[in-house]
Amino acid sequence: MKEFLENINKAFESKARLGIMSILIVNESVDFVTLKNLLDLTDGNLASHTRSLEELGYIQCQKQFIGRRPNTTFSVTPKGREAFTKHLNALEEFLKNQNL
Amino acid sequence: MENKEALNTLHDIKNLMEKSTKFLSISGISSILVGLYACIGTSLAYFILEKQTFPDTFLHIPLLNVATSYQLTLICLIALGVLALSLLTAVTMSYRKAKKVSRNIFKDKSVYRLLWNFFLPLLTGGILCFSLIWHQHYGLTSSIMLIFYGLSLVNCSKYTYSDIRYLGYAEILLGLIDSFVVTHALLFWVIGFGLLHIVAGIYFYYKVERQQD
Repeated sequence: MKEFLENINKAFESKARLGIMSILIVNESVDFVTLKNLLDLTDGNLASHTRSLEELGYIQCQKQFIGRRPNTTFSVTPKGREAFTKHLNALEEFLKNQNL
Repeated sequence: MENKEALNTLHDIKNLMEKSTKFLSISGISSILVGLYACIGTSLAYFILEKQTFPDTFLHIPLLNVATSYQLTLICLIALGVLALSLLTAVTMSYRKAKKVSRNIFKDKSVYRLLWNFFLPLLTGGILCFSLIWHQHYGLTSSIMLIFYGLSLVNCSKYTYSDIRYLGYAEILLGLIDSFVVTHALLFWVIGFGLLHIVAGIYFYYKVERQQD
């Protein structure tokens, strides 16, 4: 295993998690339904992915009620931003080395 | 992991980032139509306004004057009509385009961001124009319309195809030139709202929309 591959984050290997992070990086906060529609995931699927990212400390969620309906919004934490940037840099490094 | 896989991943990331922040269902055809409305409105206004021809005027274009309050009302009505028709066209065509890619524009946050950033400078300029007309300062109306419309475009370009900022820059420049030239307001207006829209619409249609299909 080469050095740059160490920075490829296992947490972002799933397409859904990578997608969640990509969206949250460029938005202040995004609610559950918007996330679900953008990523084309089921409720349960998205919930489990967001839970695991939350457990890693990469994203945080705020729960509130709009009227009587629960509304969950997600945003990225500084730790998550750092991890995602590292992951992207590793991908870039990987591609650079491939092209040589 | 292979090269192609990494590239695909980056491509997915870029797509999702764009999709979640930008509203991309705008159409070049609506820009062309809006330009045509502006041209029609201008020719109507041209027939209504009082014409004065001097032999030494620029390209022998007659100077136009608002002579009666009846003319003023009519011009304002034409302008509002063009505006209403333009907004209606742009919204309907965007709605249809968004529907094609099955996006609900009422639930889309990027739509609200786009609209807010577009209408904030536009409404400011619109109210300013109204106040100037109210105080019977007609001289700068067209240049203020162009400048504020340009600022609106630049301001909202972050939330849609970023290329539309160039149209915005062109409108601002044209508006500023117009503010120094005392006459020919209608000419500047039709270049800015008619010609530039048509050119931009055609460019957008061939460069962006054709490639998507």
